[in-house]
Amino acid sequence: MSARVPTSMLAAFAVPGSVVLGLFFLIPVCAVLVGAFADSGSAFGRLAGDPVFWNGLRGTMVLGTVAPLFSLVVGFCVALALARFAPGLRTAALIAISLPLTFSGLIVAYGFILLLGRAGFVTLLLAKLGFDPAVIGGFIFSPVGLGLAYSYYLVPRVVLIVLPAISNFDRNQMLASRSLGAGSFRTLTEVMLPQILPSLIAAYCLTAAVAVGAYGTALALAGTQVNILPLVLYSKISETGTDLPAASAASIVLVAICAVVVSIGEAMRPQRKS
Amino acid sequence: MTLRYDQVSYSYPGTSTGVFDIALEIGRGELLAIIGASGSGKSTILKLLAGFLKPDTGRILIDGKDVGASLPEARRLGVVFQNYALFPHMRLWENIAYPLKVRGIAKQERRARAIEMLGRVGMGKRAEDYPAELSGGQQQRVALARALVFEPQGLLLDEPLSALDAGLRLEMRDEILRVQRQAGIATLLVTHDQEEALSIADKVVMMRDGRIVQIGTPRELYETPADASVAAFVGQSNLWPGSISGDGMVTTPVGALACDTQGKSIGAKVTVFVRPERVEPITGPVDASNPCCFAGSMSADRYLGPVRRIDMAVAGGAIRLETHLRGPITGVTIPHDAIRLLPPTS
Repeated sequence: MSARVPTSMLAAFAVPGSVVLGLFFLIPVCAVLVGAFADSGSAFGRLAGDPVFWNGLRGTMVLGTVAPLFSLVVGFCVALALARFAPGLRTAALIAISLPLTFSGLIVAYGFILLLGRAGFVTLLLAKLGFDPAVIGGFIFSPVGLGLAYSYYLVPRVVLIVLPAISNFDRNQMLASRSLGAGSFRTLTEVMLPQILPSLIAAYCLTAAVAVGAYGTALALAGTQVNILPLVLYSKISETGTDLPAASAASIVLVAICAVVVSIGEAMRPQRKS
Repeated sequence: MTLRYDQVSYSYPGTSTGVFDIALEIGRGELLAIIGASGSGKSTILKLLAGFLKPDTGRILIDGKDVGASLPEARRLGVVFQNYALFPHMRLWENIAYPLKVRGIAKQERRARAIEMLGRVGMGKRAEDYPAELSGGQQQRVALARALVFEPQGLLLDEPLSALDAGLRLEMRDEILRVQRQAGIATLLVTHDQEEALSIADKVVMMRDGRIVQIGTPRELYETPADASVAAFVGQSNLWPGSISGDGMVTTPVGALACDTQGKSIGAKVTVFVRPERVEPITGPVDASNPCCFAGSMSADRYLGPVRRIDMAVAGGAIRLETHLRGPITGVTIPHDAIRLLPPTS
């Protein structure tokens, strides 16, 4: 199916991509690596002795586990429903669902504050029903609230990854299972779930990596109240007492976590037909 | 254990297609085949019985009980799908044991019963394999075993052989019949292959546009089709428009034919129907004075192995015949008892 193309031409085609990758990925990563080891590795020691770093790491781990898990459950249910839609309706719904992916994290945070913040629309509405606006309005600034805001753009990612696996699933297997005596829940968990598990794991890993690295939403919503690694990093380069080597070291930890999670996801990803 | 459709109708939402006024009964141990062109509603009938669709009107009875409102999992019917629908993530014995697992049977017992069932379809040595390691025919055997292992009240086969090679199809046809007879179970077979239906069914139902056109034994369907559409679908036929020209005589485009006109009045329109194997070839000079003899030339001569299927061009049309004779054919005789009169096609 592939006609022969001269190697020189292929190389020429690869040049723009390679330049972009080099300028905006390799050089920054190398700079961070050099920076982290600039004072002969003592930055890692400082980081290890800093309780703020460990707090941030714990916060990142919790957020990076719980928010993707919640998004996975919601996204799977949405995908199950979408798979039953007529094709035209499904496309329309997918466009609407994918829309949050185009928003910047800051805008998402701002939207949540307008809706659920201390003077938010929903907060004031609920206050009329007798709920305490201080409690309701505080929710979105809490770690759980942050997780919810993250889910806003994690759920579409889950749907986009899981939907093809569900809609391509052999419906006769479901019918066969039903006729053999399994109820619909049992059919879902024992026949469909084991077979689409690779897609679910891939979706989980991708959304976990996004949640671990996300930054704008957290900064806008929580400031530095919620301790997560990206915000620790931010404080190390913005506040007085800037510690660039320590910031670089923290970056490496963050990049390493994301890389591991994404690698697991890629390894589990269903074989694509090439 | 009988399966019964009592005046069942169903139409797909938002369309006028579906099945209408279906009345059928499948007795214990009986194999009933539904044939018809694609879109004739034969698969819909199976889905209604399996519980994948709910009838709009009418009742579906299993062993005398109305199951119209019950879910597929409550009906205890074994279904075999065209693509087999085996569970790829389970071993063969696990596939077959699944209906037993769902019914809460302990692992040791269900494994033993699954392996015994695999043996009955000739796959006893493959219990630990996965479905992807099997050929189509082997997957079909496993699907059949899975559909029967929980002693269902009926067996439903949806185009079970259409994904197999021709040679294997014949072998699996006998295999299905053998296993079905052994289980003594009421069986519904949906197929577009009329030969398959004729060869293994006790009763055959011909469908057209969502309605039953004819129910009968394979022999009844082949020899006394209800109308031209059944005659054309089941086997090869000569079908000519004709009209009664006298007592015992009918005129057709190929000429006048002597036959039993069953007291029809002169001038009545009919379809004249003759199976090609009932047409007798003439190899020598043709006696033109005999009204049932036609001289002609071969316009098509198809060698099929056991027989030749020949189209004879005669004055006024073509007569198709099948013969085992090898030499040139100069004409044909149509015996009067080979001719049946069917209702005229509108």
